[in-house]
Amino acid sequence: MALDINPDHARPWIAAAKPTHPSLIDTTHCTDELFGFINVPMAVWIDENGMLVRPAETANIERSPLRDREIPDGLPDRIAKMMREVKEIPDDSEAYREALLDWMRNGADSPYVMNPEQVVTASRPIAENHARAAACFAMGEHLHRTVGHHAAVPWWREAHALDPENWTYKRQAWTLVTTPEGAAENDLMQGPNDVYDGNWLDDVLRLGGGKSYAVRPRFDRPER
Amino acid sequence: MILTNLRVPVTEFTELTGWEAKPEGMCRGELCVPAPGALDNGMVNVEAAAGKLGMPLVHEPAHGVWALGVSTATGRALTSAKAVFPSSLIDGTSNDNTTFDFTSLRGRRMIMVAWASW
Repeated sequence: MALDINPDHARPWIAAAKPTHPSLIDTTHCTDELFGFINVPMAVWIDENGMLVRPAETANIERSPLRDREIPDGLPDRIAKMMREVKEIPDDSEAYREALLDWMRNGADSPYVMNPEQVVTASRPIAENHARAAACFAMGEHLHRTVGHHAAVPWWREAHALDPENWTYKRQAWTLVTTPEGAAENDLMQGPNDVYDGNWLDDVLRLGGGKSYAVRPRFDRPER
Repeated sequence: MILTNLRVPVTEFTELTGWEAKPEGMCRGELCVPAPGALDNGMVNVEAAAGKLGMPLVHEPAHGVWALGVSTATGRALTSAKAVFPSSLIDGTSNDNTTFDFTSLRGRRMIMVAWASW
């Protein structure tokens, strides 16, 4: 499920993947709040009864080649710094894949399944500022769609200030101002711009660097 | 959740937030929060419900809309492990913004993976 305000940005990726599973687009980011997604890729597990058995957590099933790529000499400073931070993002892909396969095989008997109370407790702690940020982001999304991008910006700036660790709010907004008009793909650099106070690299560094970027899955085999 | 009126039908409030207005209070899964005045003749009084559920309400008077934030009732992003499936998600394999019906997956285990083009 793609978190993309403009569905046309997600569709080419879906078409290229030729998925055999449902491939959805959430143009309002409503699942951010319903499931607790604050970055991508993240996932929740849902059992046959419609119950979450794992909360939102980073969901990689293979190691990104970016982690092992050497940083060439002579790169522009910002790009080199970005590559360094990307390499610092924790890699839990092997453990995540094993846990997922175990759940596929064993269902409710998998040791990685949590009971409802554990799922709620393991979801992200939130306070009033996080909840208000959700309201501000939703307002911005609505105004972006119904009035125009300019109307969304103050609300998204407020959402970013209230919940700086929510990367879906920031990355979605940044890419809309740093991608050149008519570009075939979104700008993934999301660098400094005149609209928002933050940008990907500086915000990652400010919030602890790549090692703090992901919501790591905890596979300590919870007791049920 | 975007609102143009602070009184909304119970079913609409449930669809968008997961919270159901009942005589005993606002409920989601096993959790019920007493909320006097929230249920009013089949409608949800949003200000009353939001106040009890810790859901911030922001207003954009120039465009006559409100936006409701998530609940802080449990202090966690999830207030219940019961999944809420929104009806607004688009089937990305179609080009006409057809929405996806989650009932087609009823009774199946699923992993919902969030990704993005950005």
